Amino acid sequence: MELYKIKNIAGHLSKAFLSNPLTPILAIAILLLGFVSLQTMPREEDPQIEVSGGAVMVALPGASPKEVLNVVVKPLERRIREIKGVEHVYGTAMNNFGIVNVQYFIGEDRESSNLKLYDKVMQNMDQLPKGTMPPLVKPFDIDIDIPILTAAFYQLPNVQPNVVELYQTIRELQQEINALDNVSKTTLKGVKRPQFNVLIDLHKLSAYHISLGQVAQAIKSISTNAPMIDTVNNKGKMVVFGVENAIDTIDDLRELIIAQYMGSPIYLKNIAEVDYNYDIQNYQESLIAYQKGMDKDPEAVREHEEKEEGSEGEGHAAVSFRSLTSQITLTVSKLKGTNAVYIAEEAIEKIQEAKKKLNNAGVGFIITRNYGVRADEAVNELVHHLEITIFIIMLILIPFLGWRESMVVTVAVPMILATTLFIAQLTDQTINRITLFAFLLSLGLIVDDAIIVIENIHRRLHLDIDKKSVDEIIVQATDEIGPSTNIATIAIILTMVPMAFVGGMMGQFMKPIPLNVPVGLAVSLFVAYVFAPYMARKFINFKKIKAEVIAHHKKEQGEVQEDATGKEEKGK
Amino acid sequence: MKFEHFLYRILDSRRNKWIVIGLVLLALMGSVMMIPTKLVLAKMLPGKSANTLTVYIDTATNASIKETQQVAQCVVNELEKEPEVTDMEVFLGQGAPLDYAGLVKGSAFKRFQNQAEVVVNLTDKHKRDEPSFMMVHRLRPQIQKTCGSLLPSTNIKFIEMPSGPPTLATIVVELYAKSDEQLRTMAGKVSQLLSKTEGLVDVDVMMDDIYKTYMLSPNKEKIIRSALSVDQVNKIIYLAFKGMPVAEKNTKNQQDQIPIFLRLNTESRMIDGESRRTLKNKLSSLRLMNQKGMMVPVTEVVDIKEVDSSPTIFRKDLKNMAIITAECDMVSQVYPLLEARDKMLDVLKDQYTIEKVPGITTYMFDLKAKDKLTGEEILIRWDGEMKVSLDTFRDLGGAFIAALILMFLLMVVYYKSFVLSGIVLAGSFLSIIGVIVGHWVTDKISLAFTDTNFFLTATSLIGFISLMGISARGSLLLIDFSKSLMQEGHEKKRAIAIATATRAKPILMTAVAIILGSLLLSTDPIFGGLGIALIFGSIAATLVALFFIPVLMDGAKAMDPHAGKECGEGEVFDEEEHLCVLTDNLKTILFPEKHNKDCDEEK
Repeated sequence: MELYKIKNIAGHLSKAFLSNPLTPILAIAILLLGFVSLQTMPREEDPQIEVSGGAVMVALPGASPKEVLNVVVKPLERRIREIKGVEHVYGTAMNNFGIVNVQYFIGEDRESSNLKLYDKVMQNMDQLPKGTMPPLVKPFDIDIDIPILTAAFYQLPNVQPNVVELYQTIRELQQEINALDNVSKTTLKGVKRPQFNVLIDLHKLSAYHISLGQVAQAIKSISTNAPMIDTVNNKGKMVVFGVENAIDTIDDLRELIIAQYMGSPIYLKNIAEVDYNYDIQNYQESLIAYQKGMDKDPEAVREHEEKEEGSEGEGHAAVSFRSLTSQITLTVSKLKGTNAVYIAEEAIEKIQEAKKKLNNAGVGFIITRNYGVRADEAVNELVHHLEITIFIIMLILIPFLGWRESMVVTVAVPMILATTLFIAQLTDQTINRITLFAFLLSLGLIVDDAIIVIENIHRRLHLDIDKKSVDEIIVQATDEIGPSTNIATIAIILTMVPMAFVGGMMGQFMKPIPLNVPVGLAVSLFVAYVFAPYMARKFINFKKIKAEVIAHHKKEQGEVQEDATGKEEKGK
Repeated sequence: MKFEHFLYRILDSRRNKWIVIGLVLLALMGSVMMIPTKLVLAKMLPGKSANTLTVYIDTATNASIKETQQVAQCVVNELEKEPEVTDMEVFLGQGAPLDYAGLVKGSAFKRFQNQAEVVVNLTDKHKRDEPSFMMVHRLRPQIQKTCGSLLPSTNIKFIEMPSGPPTLATIVVELYAKSDEQLRTMAGKVSQLLSKTEGLVDVDVMMDDIYKTYMLSPNKEKIIRSALSVDQVNKIIYLAFKGMPVAEKNTKNQQDQIPIFLRLNTESRMIDGESRRTLKNKLSSLRLMNQKGMMVPVTEVVDIKEVDSSPTIFRKDLKNMAIITAECDMVSQVYPLLEARDKMLDVLKDQYTIEKVPGITTYMFDLKAKDKLTGEEILIRWDGEMKVSLDTFRDLGGAFIAALILMFLLMVVYYKSFVLSGIVLAGSFLSIIGVIVGHWVTDKISLAFTDTNFFLTATSLIGFISLMGISARGSLLLIDFSKSLMQEGHEKKRAIAIATATRAKPILMTAVAIILGSLLLSTDPIFGGLGIALIFGSIAATLVALFFIPVLMDGAKAMDPHAGKECGEGEVFDEEEHLCVLTDNLKTILFPEKHNKDCDEEK
């Protein structure tokens, strides 16, 4: 019997890999790589949107908005307009202050945009009006600016509130968390910083005939810091001495002599309330109200576990809240391209470690935002959806192809996804909702190639198994459908490619779809030609098919004759 | 084969063929008409249920932190009645920790006493019956009514997690004009119009209120005579009432320096009442020491004037601008926008001559108003999610056309016939019937069960684009098979009927795979549109492939083996080879025993 002549790349590929011992190793390697990618790729909920921009802030004390507009904002706007890639310039002129916000076109490189802005401002420093403070250039950075984790620390009930102490405890914790790998920035919101407050009584001031300026001067003159002085003594040894800050404790401040009145000294404590407290001039404040029970077991409240137990009788059990208490929110941001899940976990671990210490200090905490868990949940949910979908597809293939054949398709799908995921990792993408939706979307498309190959092998086997060797049939079956499968797959890839050129926020947001679906489709061709035939050869029960076919032929030979006579009659 | 006979009957009669074509055209017209008749509603991205929502509170520009806190407390009290709320963080005089929404809504720049944000954490969305957007829908009017009326010009906004890219607001009206007064009056009119429009909520004018302030103008003569300086006056008044750190102290056991802060005590700096007189009384007790050591009351050297505050000036792209924002309450932004615009045209036409922006751009809703009296011009520009949607739909439309052209070119390369490529393309395009009808059906189902609308979204369009490739595959297989069958010597109509009938099974199989694969997609709030587009689109594509494509193929002369320049007898070698594969394929199906002989001949 003559050999089948291979005409398409499909046949060549399947032949090369059909009896190659490396094929299963390659398959396992691909699956492993995909699994490793799934575990190690940075996970996020939403994809990265390259938003470049920044703000230039210029303070001009004592100027009205109109003045700021003319002197600061307008010239600055004009200069910034000169930068290439700037989409919009927003100017804001208020009392004492001018802000110019710059928004670059979406997709402009963030780092060079920031540099350009900084450069432009620095070049024009000489043109800034007199009396302005040095301009502040603040670039936006989604990664650093959007915290992945926030935790609210508050004073436990029944504990004497002490905002300064609370601040100090959290400040230490912040330092520890900041030391974790890949944590880029931590901030505290709602902090009350320790401060010596000197609150002067105006009446006493006038009674003692003292002016406010005098008081300020007196405090300023006594609290100076000077560096240590080192000098060499007559024996050639080093002698170090220094002047201590005259104010060490709050009492030093209280005992400060401001002036003499009628011969007796007037201390600061005589004319003012002096205490060691927090920054009273700072009106920014953070408060928290939480459901009772949150402090003990936040997960239980969030997950409604309580409710399930007692939901039958009461329905909507009245919830009780602890009334607004002041709190400090600690925010944790991550470095770009790092895994939010792990960083959040580590940070929470650190906080949990400190829990006992915190509780002793009368501090409780609630994790108020955890993008790590959210990203993980979103990813896991979608991976679960993918699994279900693969399973459903396998089920519907069984009646069409038989269970062994549909098994081949079912194994092919994870291989395609694994390869695509690995390629995605190599190209610096992250796993996010949109990437996984791209996978879900491509699922319907990528099974097709494998289905077509397997279906043709299945059909061919039933036709030719008694005439040719199994290997030859498989190669031929794969080769036959090569051209039309290639062209159809290329057609689908072509429809996805233009989507990569969609601009704006939406284009950036959707980018994983045109990036990953074509790759998945191309990989699906490869897998369909390389692994599907190999697996078909391993999985399919050829003896059974052969027996069936022979039995069928025998049966048919009788029927065919009947059929022929029947058809002739019809024709007439 | 029953299906084969049925098809043959259609192909055989001219009347039946016209019926099929007529039905398809009717379906196409009908479905496309569903969009302008608002049977299917368009929107960029639907809402997403989340575990967090944020409430932005803006009180009057001259409100104190105490007043802002009062409003925040009220909001918290109202929300405490909700069993689904687990905890709330109030940030007074500052923005909450940034999130996607806050990034573009200027949350990071909040630092005034009249601003506050409340982060509301809810129970886990999977364990909660009510999605967060429904909750906002229910709570919004209630809270705005109770807490919004506590203080004048208080604005309470509900910010939900954006399901797609964040925007400043769903509807943003930008006004550009030279004079501030004009911006102010126009902004008032526009915001009033928007508040009256059904479906729009959270209408806010981003503009400072003008309030009364007192200006202390130093009397130069008196200052010089009393041996003081203006600088001294400024500093002392600031120190007395606002206070400042006058010195710092380093500490050994803390991470920060400890400032020494100086200010008048609460009793001394408290001004009772709001009038000029009380302010003067207070200032008179504050005395300055001159160079000669004499005490001079501040009021001796300054005059107190009452002036209006100077509001912040906003500019965009070097033009003065005012912004009015509004959110959509569970409805698509397209229809309220058009309604508000119509009303605007109606209201403004008495005072202004209004010009529409000609042509179709993504700024096509813009209006140019010219004051009939003063001749001053004002540009009313629509921005926000609407603009992003239009841009996206435009870009996706462009991508769609590019995809069509690319596919057409590929088909032309493959078939070397424009007509056949056209047939494949027509088959792909007709899946739009399924996409639109599918959205209509889902909208009805969704309304019946969850009382929410299901919108035609950007993801539906993506689904449609990817469908084109999928449905092309069906047509492709049919044409290939029919052609090879005809080469086998079958009569054209018969060949088409046989090919369609034999290919029906794999076409159905792949369609079922896509439909089942997309079922889970369709339950997602964002990608639901994509899922629905794929499901109903592939149903339509299958029907089109099985009934309409055969009719078109029958009409196409290019199908005949010798008519076109396709793989005939005297063809160049490689093209022959290319065809040979297909014929082989068919020969094995139809004439298994003849197959071997043919291969020999070719060699």
